[in-house]
Formats: sequence, structure tokens, C-alpha cells
Amino acid sequence: MEFLLNSMRKIDNDQVKEHAFGTEQSLEENLAVCFINPKDFEKLNLVTNLHLKISNNKKHVIVKVEKDDNVHDGTIVMPVSIWSNRLSEVQNNELLYKNIVVNVEATRDPITKFKEIIQELRVKK
Amino acid sequence: MELYKFLPKTNCKKCGKPTCMAFSLDLLQGKVKVDDCPPLLEPKYKKQYDTLKEILGSEEGKKKELKINIDDDLCDGCGICVTVCPVNARYCPSSLSGKAPEYPPEEHQLFQVIGGKCELLKIEHCRRLEAGGRERECRVCETYCPREAVKIEYV
Amino acid sequence: MKRVTCSGCSLLCDDIIVKSDGLFVSEVIGACLKGKERFDQVNAKNRITHPMIRKDGELKEVSWDVAAKKAVEIIKKSSNPLLYGFSNVTSEAQEAGIKLAQKIDGFIDSNASICQGKFLNKAKNHGINLTTITEIINKGDLIILWGANPAETIPRLLNKVLFSRGKFRMTGREIKTLVIIDPIKTASFRVMGVRDLPLIVEPNKDIDLIRMLKEECCSADSNPFEGVAGVDKGDLKRLLLHLTGAENGVIILGQGVIQPHPDYDLVEELLELLQMINERQEKGRISLLLMGGHFNMAGFDHVALSSFGVFGKLEFKCNQLVKTEDTLVSKIQKEDFDCSIIVGTDPISHFPFSLSSKLAQKPLILIDNHSTATSYIAEVVLPTSITGIESGGLAYRLDQVPIELNKIINPPNNLPSDEELLNQLYELSNSEGSE
Repeated sequence: MEFLLNSMRKIDNDQVKEHAFGTEQSLEENLAVCFINPKDFEKLNLVTNLHLKISNNKKHVIVKVEKDDNVHDGTIVMPVSIWSNRLSEVQNNELLYKNIVVNVEATRDPITKFKEIIQELRVKK
Repeated sequence: MELYKFLPKTNCKKCGKPTCMAFSLDLLQGKVKVDDCPPLLEPKYKKQYDTLKEILGSEEGKKKELKINIDDDLCDGCGICVTVCPVNARYCPSSLSGKAPEYPPEEHQLFQVIGGKCELLKIEHCRRLEAGGRERECRVCETYCPREAVKIEYV
Repeated sequence: MKRVTCSGCSLLCDDIIVKSDGLFVSEVIGACLKGKERFDQVNAKNRITHPMIRKDGELKEVSWDVAAKKAVEIIKKSSNPLLYGFSNVTSEAQEAGIKLAQKIDGFIDSNASICQGKFLNKAKNHGINLTTITEIINKGDLIILWGANPAETIPRLLNKVLFSRGKFRMTGREIKTLVIIDPIKTASFRVMGVRDLPLIVEPNKDIDLIRMLKEECCSADSNPFEGVAGVDKGDLKRLLLHLTGAENGVIILGQGVIQPHPDYDLVEELLELLQMINERQEKGRISLLLMGGHFNMAGFDHVALSSFGVFGKLEFKCNQLVKTEDTLVSKIQKEDFDCSIIVGTDPISHFPFSLSSKLAQKPLILIDNHSTATSYIAEVVLPTSITGIESGGLAYRLDQVPIELNKIINPPNNLPSDEELLNQLYELSNSEGSE
């Protein structure tokens, strides 16, 4: 299903705090999450132990899902992190962080690990 | 408030309190009982009398204390409650322009932000306890907290 | 017990009280959560206190001489270095960075170019001024938040700007009107009162709202006959009345407004609207206030302007400043650099993947004080002391007011400040002569 992705800063899910004070596990727990409307939660047939696979232009991440009433129908909100930036784009030499068109589906696969993304970055092209 | 809705709202002062709103606050705190309001005992107010008795139940007459709870997980130390509290504004002039008050705190000061979180220093001078009239309904710290971390309750 | 200035975010609150004996900071009073975390970074679990070099894929601790030598070796081998960051450091360090870039023929830019810097230049062209926080406390009566969410990014901003009582605004909150325009109902909406105006627009439709406001501004009676972008006509009329009737309005712009679009430039259209409103008003004005994350985001442009007369980015060839059409993003996209020096920021976490993967292909020297995603990629990591606590200097607040930061305690292991380290790198790349 098609959704609009918005990445915003949240004071409880803060990237700098986790890097300075936390461990890799707390980094994944607090930042590899996304928030959707409860109505969309049911439309996607999600249950508590399923994760969400968000993909865009041949790249994807798998994150945990939480419900939030304040999120608009048809949009997903993620805290600014290395997971949400897997999907942000460069448009016309400017950086696009909000209202990105993505494809979303439920999945049983595990959450994308921090080390996996770092390894992909290091691959020589 | 929920209890005020069922009172006569005539401010007749037969109970000894200046307004029906003051009576409803004392009723909530257990300082008076429903029977202390003479108009309520009349037949035309029977429905309100029964509803009030039902809402209060066994809590009627039990002394309740004011408690202002600040949730530690939700508070982010923004200091809006420090600036907006009328007691702080009267006694700590630096909090008028949004600055943090002096430390050690002044005798009347209610809120102070310590270690990144807001703390309630002492509750004795809160407007809900000391003032008369409409100032007793003061709820500004609870209304303006952007994270909904401040809750006023009677225990 | 002493009064210090907090360096947690770009608001630079100077009313913080700390208890310290010169060795440790034991209590912090008055600072919000982000400020407290900044003071906690002194003893953070992942703080880096020794320089490190990558050997066989892992970072290993080495002495200062070895690390500095490796850094200079990387710089000497490159003919086109890129310097980025410079928002988490003092203005003296920003000057030292520009001096280093001139020496090694590099391209230097700061975080402001992808954040605040976009507005500043264009705002001056449209005749819209910035205002200071003291002005808003004493004289402001209308505050508009467009695409900004200070309750989650700069917690004390709403406290200082909206709830405070000033000389001509003694009743504080009651006389100020707040308007929030945002597609999501964020935490900032909870400070709304009965006289304020919350507007929830549809995602990506702000441009329609701006264009409708421009049309209505020109007409005599400003009575819109239909709503637009999720805002109904009653609210639209109220917004127009506030905009044209304010004596001292301020508009706070955030990330939501600087997103690019292929067909139009939202920032330009918004500034044109403000210029139109200011021209039609007899007594009032609307001015601008820009939010920023790091504590000295506004400083780099001041330093570049005063040293070289240029706003923002600088490119040097043969020790001379050259004119360039490239921006930071275009340089990285074209892969037009052969090594990078990152100072006080974390681009691997913050840039889109396609950009950060290009940055990770070339050798990277990192100057920072705790481990971040960029430290997993860096070849050399050089730690420094934390500014505002272990070293001092000058910084510029978000409304361009300069504020001095002080030293409270000594850094561990005699770590140098950012300015001292950049000067050391300058000396080392100077002394070994040309090869």
C-alpha cells in the first residue's frame, strides 16, 4: 500500500542521546520504530508481533510499529535516524525528508540491524 | 467541575460559603457534606441530591489532600509551569521574563526545574489552598504543560 | 554555585545555575532535558578520550603524534578536500577551520547550508528582518509556527517567547496570539488557548495556502469565499486578520518549509507573501526567527562574512578564494572530493543514504567527542573537549546575538579544544613543506 513518510525529531527517540549514552540494542529499540494511525494499523492486518517493511526505489528497511492517534490517515511518522534516512532522497541537489512516497507491507522478518546498514555503506562501488 | 453542575448555583450563602463553586471545592476535599447545603434538601432538588450522593459514595466527608503530580517520564524541563504559576510570578521577578528563578529557592516558590525535570518544592502556597473566590480554581500548570505531565488530584 | 550559559541547543540560555567544585559538575538547575544531557556528556558511556586510527577494519587507540601524522598524511595525498560541520564549535574554531581550508585548498561549509542558511540570504533580498527574543518578550503580539515544532526540539523556546511577561506585554500569554500551521498534530499544539488558531493543513499543500493568502491580501475586503488545503474559510479569514493587524508579529520557520519541490520554491513564495503584508501595513511588521539544532549554527555565516565578505560556503584554490556554483550536496553527489574532514556533526546518520554512501567511499577524518555512526566509518578520530563546559569561546544564538561561553571544569586527559586542534593541523600541514 502506498503511504507518505514523514521524518521528524522526537525528544523521546533522540539519536544523539542513544549514540552517546546507550548501546547498540537501545539504539535499535528506540529508533527503528514508526508510528501509524490505528485505522491504518487494521487495514494492513497488523498484529503486535509483526513488523513493517517500508520500501522506496529498490531500498527498504524493516521496523517496529506503534499506534498513535495524532498521525494523519495515510501517513507514517518516523523519528530522524539512520533508518529513516535509508528512505530519504536527494532531489535537485536539495535534501527531502518529508512527504516521501513509500510502499508498505507487513512482514515477519526481523528488524534491520544497525551494523547491516553500516556494512552496506562501506561496500566499494 | 462535575460536582458544581448539580448544585443550585444561586450563591445564596446559606451554607456559610461565599459561592456555590467554593462549596463544591470543599465538598470534593471532604470538608463539608451534601447535607450542609440547605436548598438541596428541598423536594425540587431531590434528583441532584441523589446524584451527588451517588457520585461521592463512601468518599463523602473523608478528608482529601491536594496533590500535584509531575510525571517524571513525560516532563522535558521546558519550564512553562515555572513561568506561568501566579505565585512564582508574584514572588520571583526573574521568572516573569521566562528566566529560571534563583537558587536556593525563595520561600513562596512552588516549581523549579532541577536536573532537567520540573519539581514541586512545596505546595503550601498554591492558589488552590490559600486564595479565595475564583482564584481557587487555578489550573494553569496543568492546562499549559505541552507534554501533559502535570496532574492535579485530590487523594 | 555559579551562573553559566548552556550549550545544549541554539537558544543559549544564560540563566542556568550549576554546582561545581572545579572538578565535577554535580547539579544543574534551570536547564531543560536537552541541556542536562549536554552536561551529562562529560561522563558519557561512549565518550572518546584517546585518538584512534583504523587498522584492519577496527579502531585502535594510538598516541597523539601517530594520529596527527596519519591525518596530515591523508590531507597531503589529496588535492580536493572537503570540510563540513562547524556548528557545534565556537566562532574562534570556525575561523581556524577557514584558515585550514585556505591552506589545504579545500571546500568548507557548515550545517547551516542545509538548514537555516537557506532563509537568511533570501530574507535580506525581500527586506524582511530578523528579530531578537528580547523584542518578542517586550513587544510581540503574534507568533506563527510554520512547519516548526519547538516543543520537541528547543523545549524552552515557547516558555521564553509566549508565556513571558515583558515591558509592554505585562499580561503575557493573554495578549499574545499563537497560530500553528502543521500537517501533524504535534506536541506544540497543546499550549493552545481559546483565542489561538490551530490550522492542520493537508500534507504537501502549503503552497496552495500561500497562494490563496497572496490573492486575498491584494483585495480590498479580504473575504475569501472558500477554504483551501484543509483549512475552512472562517479560519482563513481569521488568519488574514491576524497577519494584517499585528503590530509586531514574528514567524518561526522550521524544517517543514524548506523541503524541495520540482515545480515551485516554497521559501521564495512565503517570503514574497511576507513582503507584501509588510508593505501594506502602516504601523506593524512581521519579522523572522529561525530555529537551529546545534548551538552555533548562526555563527559560521558571520565569520565567513567578516573574514572574506562571502555568505556561507567557501572554496579555495592555490590559497585564494574562488567563485563557485557548487554547493555541499552537489559536490558530494558528483563525488568531486577526495577526502573529508568532519567537525562536530554526524553526517552518516543525518544524510540520505545515497549521499552518505558516497561520503563513506573516501577517507574521512572525524573531530568529535563521543561515538556516532560516522565514527564507524572514519579512518582517524581526534577527540576534543566539550565546549561550554570544558572550554569557552564565542557563539551566536538563533537570533544572531553573540554570547560568551565559559569554562567550568578541566577536560579529561588534557584534551585540546576544537580551536587548538584545528590550529595544530594547520601548523603540521604547513611545516612539512611541499612534496
